[in-house]
Amino acid sequence: MVASSPFGSSIKRREDPRLITGAGHYTDDVRLPGMLSMAILRSPHAHARIVNIDTSAAKAMPGVVAIYTGADLVDLVAPVPCAWQPKNSDIKVPEYRPLAVDTVRYVGDGVAAVVAENRYMAEDAAAAINVQYDTLPVVVHQLDAMKDGAPQLYDSVPNNVAFHFHLEGGDVDAAFQKADLTFKQRLVNQRLIPNAMETRGAVASYQRGSNELTLWCTTQNPHIVRFLMSLCTNIPETQIRVLSQDIGGGFGSKIAMQAGEMIASVISKDLLRPIKWMEDRSENYVSTTHGRDHVDDVEVAAMKDGRVVGLKVTAYANMGAYLSTAAPGVPTWLFTVTQSGAYDIPNVASDVYGVLTNTTATDAYRGAGRPEATYLIERVMDLVAKKLNLDPTEVRRKNFIPSDAFPYSIASGAIAYDSGDYDKTLDRALEMIDYAALRKEQEQARAEGRLFGVGFSTYIEVCGLAPSAAAGAMGFGGGLYESAVVRVHPTGKVTVLTGINPQGQGEGTTFAQLLNGELGVPVEDIEIVWGDTDRIPMGWGTYGSRSTAVGGSALVFAARKVRDKMMKIGAHLLEVSPEEVVFDQGSVHVKGAPDQVKSFGEIALAAYTAWNMPEGVTPGLDESYFFDPVSNTFPFGAHVCVVEIDKDSGKADVRRYVAVDDVGNVINPMIVDGQIHGGIAQGLAQAVLETAVYDDNGQLLSGTMMDYAIPKASSFPNYELDRTVTPCPFNPMGLKGVGEAGTIASTPAIMNAIVDALSPLGVEHFDMPASPQRIWQLVHEQKGN
Amino acid sequence: MKITGKHTINAPRDQVWGRLIDPDSIAACLPGVETLDKVGDDEYSMAMNIGIGMVKGTYTGKVRLSNMNEPTDYQMYVEGSGRPGFIKGTGTVRLADGENSTTDIEYNGDVEVGGPVGAVAQRMLGGVANRMVGQFFGCVESKITGE
Repeated sequence: MVASSPFGSSIKRREDPRLITGAGHYTDDVRLPGMLSMAILRSPHAHARIVNIDTSAAKAMPGVVAIYTGADLVDLVAPVPCAWQPKNSDIKVPEYRPLAVDTVRYVGDGVAAVVAENRYMAEDAAAAINVQYDTLPVVVHQLDAMKDGAPQLYDSVPNNVAFHFHLEGGDVDAAFQKADLTFKQRLVNQRLIPNAMETRGAVASYQRGSNELTLWCTTQNPHIVRFLMSLCTNIPETQIRVLSQDIGGGFGSKIAMQAGEMIASVISKDLLRPIKWMEDRSENYVSTTHGRDHVDDVEVAAMKDGRVVGLKVTAYANMGAYLSTAAPGVPTWLFTVTQSGAYDIPNVASDVYGVLTNTTATDAYRGAGRPEATYLIERVMDLVAKKLNLDPTEVRRKNFIPSDAFPYSIASGAIAYDSGDYDKTLDRALEMIDYAALRKEQEQARAEGRLFGVGFSTYIEVCGLAPSAAAGAMGFGGGLYESAVVRVHPTGKVTVLTGINPQGQGEGTTFAQLLNGELGVPVEDIEIVWGDTDRIPMGWGTYGSRSTAVGGSALVFAARKVRDKMMKIGAHLLEVSPEEVVFDQGSVHVKGAPDQVKSFGEIALAAYTAWNMPEGVTPGLDESYFFDPVSNTFPFGAHVCVVEIDKDSGKADVRRYVAVDDVGNVINPMIVDGQIHGGIAQGLAQAVLETAVYDDNGQLLSGTMMDYAIPKASSFPNYELDRTVTPCPFNPMGLKGVGEAGTIASTPAIMNAIVDALSPLGVEHFDMPASPQRIWQLVHEQKGN
Repeated sequence: MKITGKHTINAPRDQVWGRLIDPDSIAACLPGVETLDKVGDDEYSMAMNIGIGMVKGTYTGKVRLSNMNEPTDYQMYVEGSGRPGFIKGTGTVRLADGENSTTDIEYNGDVEVGGPVGAVAQRMLGGVANRMVGQFFGCVESKITGE
């Protein structure tokens, strides 16, 4: 395939035949000679002092090689790092030992690691370890944990508040004074379990002699793992190779450093044997990070015409028992900078409390902070409409940032949106849904006593997580640029090395399309390589919908360096000056004389044989580029959801779902549609199904897939999709990113529809998940009244 | 988790009382008991094999009977831990004369489970506990009436 443009071609994903025929190579597929299996014994108590650990019986069991407790690891490995410590906060980071030393703080906290000849032996021996606990009082809810007299997780963290973060712009108090309407609303964004198909795990192999640690693990960011692993183990980065190629989903749950990876690595170094550790699903549910879990109190100031003039948000984020690697950045920066959404709200104040509780640690989950913010502001728009008896689309339009106001700086000045045309996506969505007819249909349905609702979400999101200067200012302990190497081989085939690390997003295909657009090389001649820190220059990985906007841009700029060099070599071979040639679909020819041409392959070979190079041009065709954009990208769109609720079963049936998204230019429409489909599905699951539930003792009640409501194919409606295109000015492709858009947009669209459906019962707000049982209860309580 | 229930045993109260606090009858009638050894006044160590859903395993722990008001009521404390996690519970058992020389038993207790069994089994626990209690009283009854 030779395309003239990298955009608009829905070629099939090149990685799929391998993945869907079982030929993928995941961490658990790594089998090394002499490899041992590791099982981690985890605390059954949510909060307890460890009085004694008796490993004698376990050590005597067949196949057991070694058992390590928390105390044994203290000298081998540093605590699990927290790498995002927001600047405008008073953050206190408690010590997070990979295995607990004195005290366990959540059900699932690691207590001992057993290494044995196989998994069965390791698990059996773990069960034979006798741990004596002295249980302590437990607190699982963030609001309870902040109260005076609540159980304290750490002496160093009074009232369990790990941080308080504040961001403000405009004059919020003045706005509330002049407003026609002010109101308060509490919104609960429930805890979710990420449920990647592949659980977390690692294979660590420390080689005697070379003193090199090779670590296969399932991560979204192998270079961050290498960087932090080096800091935590004192093994130099030059001696650590992190490999992470096929990854069975991440959704944010594979960003953080996992204690298990660190434990396996240092035990491998200690025993000089390869160690494999793979979570089973039950272990994954307690030991891998959870998502969301906010209680948000919002105060709104609005004018009679629907203009929102002020917003005060006080958020209580449940961080779990420890601060995970990126966790504090999620409810602070990522949450607050999108709080005013697509709307020009001049006065906004946000206070965020990060609270420690006896639960599994939370961290990024698809959207990370932005779904919480979008849910909040989109519910606010509907509440304003309801209270002022206005149409929800009218209130949105009244508040939209006008399309000529970009770049648009939010009230606090913390971030500036790149480009947008919010009326355009809403216009198109209303046209697709036939809004006037839909409201008539609703009127009719209501007259018949049916619960029929329409919900909107005219969202924005921050994508292309960057730039590095912003990362530094926000307290993120790393950069957010991205790297690419374009390596043309003597035969004209091309290897691309990228610092991003996809988990199913399709860059193996779209990056080849991008390169095809730049160099004209057929897609089948291009290999995209990620997930190997020994081959690939420093890069920061795949999350925050950054891979194509940032990593793809690095690739484009590296390709342009290759192209410039090829033009010099081609011109030299054609015996003309570089100004006299053009680069056309992979070959170089003299301007106006397409028959005087050197093919891509001829130039590649000439560059490597180097028999006849132009003066001052070095041999080889191998260029790298580190791209750091000047700003983020801001995709947007309008989602409309039509819901009918069955009063008898309580089930909210999504009858129609229209999504008009603007993600800038689109490389592969099929892959973008797929991202939107999956995203809507994940957001819908939060709205109506999923919730992680703890009992008062800190036991995870929704600890299996039987108890945690994962959606099924039958849970989803047919999606009606369309797009508008507003290019991003900050990267060479004008694209914005799409990995999280669907999830961010869909949860509020569905909840707004459900609340609208329930409004004849006097309902103004309903917390998630709007499960059949909870809706049924509400409908029947109303009937009872 | 609260467990409450009632059961009627076709035997007079004094006989039922004797059985309910007798370690040998408890060991013989409580499903899954492997060992029950007296370790103090009204205190016993116990090993019990219970399967709740897909989580099966042996729990070792202790049973203590207290506040015994013969033949009216007593309290029972049970704790056990093992590979599937831990179970801890306290409860009160009350006996009253029923019609025709029967005994009405009323029990209520609070059970806490934790660890893997807590995650997997909570939603089944009520049913399992009530079934076990039913089996226990049924067995006690048949031991008395069979004599």
